Amino acid sequence: MSKMGITHGLISDWIYSLAMNLVGHLECFVVVAEELHFGRAAERLGMAQPPLSQRIQRLEKELDTRLFDRSSRRVALTASGRLLLEEARDLLVRVDRIRAVAERAGERDVLRVGVPEDLDGAVIAALLGTFRDVRPDLPLDLRPAPTEEHLRALADGTLDAGVLRHPCDTAGLSLGPMLGQPLGVLLPDGSPPAAAPELRLADLEGHDLVVSRREMPPAALEDLLASCARHGFVPGAVHESPHPQFTLGLVLAGTAVALVPRAPAAPGTVWRPLLGDPLLQRTSCAWRSGAPPEGPLADLIEVTTRVLRTEAAMTPVHQRVVLRPSSGFLA
Amino acid sequence: MTAVIEGAFREAGVVGWLHAVDLDSGREIGVRPDESVVLASVFKVPLLVAFFRRAAAGELDPVEQVALPPGARVAGGTGTSVLLDEIRMSLRDLACMMITVSDNTAADTVLERVGLDHVNRTLTDLGLVRTRVTGSAGDLHASLMADAGVTDPADLWTRLTDPGVAGRLSALDPAVSSRGTPRELTRLLAAIWRDEAAPAPECAQMRRMLGLQIWPHRLASGFPYDDVLVSGKTGTLLTLRNEIGVVEYPDGGRYALAVFTRARSTAATHPRADAAIGTAARLAVQELRGWAS
Repeated sequence: MSKMGITHGLISDWIYSLAMNLVGHLECFVVVAEELHFGRAAERLGMAQPPLSQRIQRLEKELDTRLFDRSSRRVALTASGRLLLEEARDLLVRVDRIRAVAERAGERDVLRVGVPEDLDGAVIAALLGTFRDVRPDLPLDLRPAPTEEHLRALADGTLDAGVLRHPCDTAGLSLGPMLGQPLGVLLPDGSPPAAAPELRLADLEGHDLVVSRREMPPAALEDLLASCARHGFVPGAVHESPHPQFTLGLVLAGTAVALVPRAPAAPGTVWRPLLGDPLLQRTSCAWRSGAPPEGPLADLIEVTTRVLRTEAAMTPVHQRVVLRPSSGFLA
Repeated sequence: MTAVIEGAFREAGVVGWLHAVDLDSGREIGVRPDESVVLASVFKVPLLVAFFRRAAAGELDPVEQVALPPGARVAGGTGTSVLLDEIRMSLRDLACMMITVSDNTAADTVLERVGLDHVNRTLTDLGLVRTRVTGSAGDLHASLMADAGVTDPADLWTRLTDPGVAGRLSALDPAVSSRGTPRELTRLLAAIWRDEAAPAPECAQMRRMLGLQIWPHRLASGFPYDDVLVSGKTGTLLTLRNEIGVVEYPDGGRYALAVFTRARSTAATHPRADAAIGTAARLAVQELRGWAS
């Protein structure tokens, strides 16, 4: 262990910062004690190894005892390290509980809910209105953003719930009922396929496709293109649009068609349903996994699911999955 | 559409034969569907049918336990063929191994109980007169080794590129080897799916086994859809790669498929040839469904 060489003036500073962040130092101690390897512990903590070593040294100074025996080959807990490990774990569990209680207490002021940016105005209004009827004392803070941003915010704890577009990475989240909304085709009025009241995807062969960049994460685009190919439509090119107006422009110009839920078509365009609804845009509520939702969160999920079904014409998705042996249990 | 399917075969470097039929409407599509092709392990499907017909007739007991001593293994890379110690298994579980993982030891054990003549009589009874099983998996292996003049199976592949060797291998000759036609094999599958190959409970057991086949690289690769059930049986013999099977869609559409290929390359590992079987099958099913879904 190297000499720390700290001048007197700095000592009071670091004692102060350590007092403020004893919990953080103990978290480091527990991880190093579990790994008995500074490199692996640093990796788990998402930090570099030198600052981790410094934290352990500071903690040893503060507690005035050696926690680890470090030889060049291995790291081992000392007797006092073993004693302190259980205490540190106890403390960290209680700190987690304090944070959770604080979070729950905070939830009562306002409920922060992420929604897709392209959700219809009528749906947004119904969501706000219906929730106000159920919980007049609890305002909804709706935050429109792409699903990828909602996922990050849910993980950070800056959202209480989100209305997500699928597929997306739902690790660590619980999901409400999966709802599907049939996609149809947005075409220029007067184009040959627009003559039919209902289209098959194969009728679009030879056309380009324009998709919303913000509402179409890579996995969703991959799924959409696979479904299109399955039903006979392989777009000549896929244009990623940053904005609905750009999408509209490409459609009006006849450059590309868009696959979107039923909505009032802009002048010069028509919307046609697809025969047999082969494409479904899948949506669900999501919240951080843990206890089953209760109180305001449970109300929110119920209201949101109900509004999406009644106002956005979404219906529960029942897709049969035939598991193949090569992708079966533990295969 | 047949030209598109031919194109898919050509692009993968194989010659291909195909027959596809909608089990309900009878609509069909074929690429040389009436030419004779070598079955390879597809022979295990007529064997399966004969096994369950004899079981249903009470002529053999499907749950009879059979002991396979360590010395009695037929060449093969899967199932009981690779196990080292004595195995006890029922006849129908051996049949399951022969279908789900193409277990050669299991197949020859079942064939011994069923009898080659019964397999061919079954085919005749079903009106499949151009499909014949001429020997066991062990017989096929012995003929290959003798024709190629090798004693180590690993040498087969290296000898295959020697002048004249491929032409000498009777196992690859549909006049001598176990054989059928793509059309007759989809008729065999149709009989299993329509409960005509044997009594309904036995046909259900056959469909279950074919649905549990593990290989994802041929027929199943053409249908990467979670809601589609693919059942099948492969056949592989040097440059020959085959699979017959039934594809079932969530709307009830059912299609029997028989795809046989012969690769120009003598590579033992040839994923494009495997995938071409799935691609050709999908193109055929798309044609039969008319892009319904």
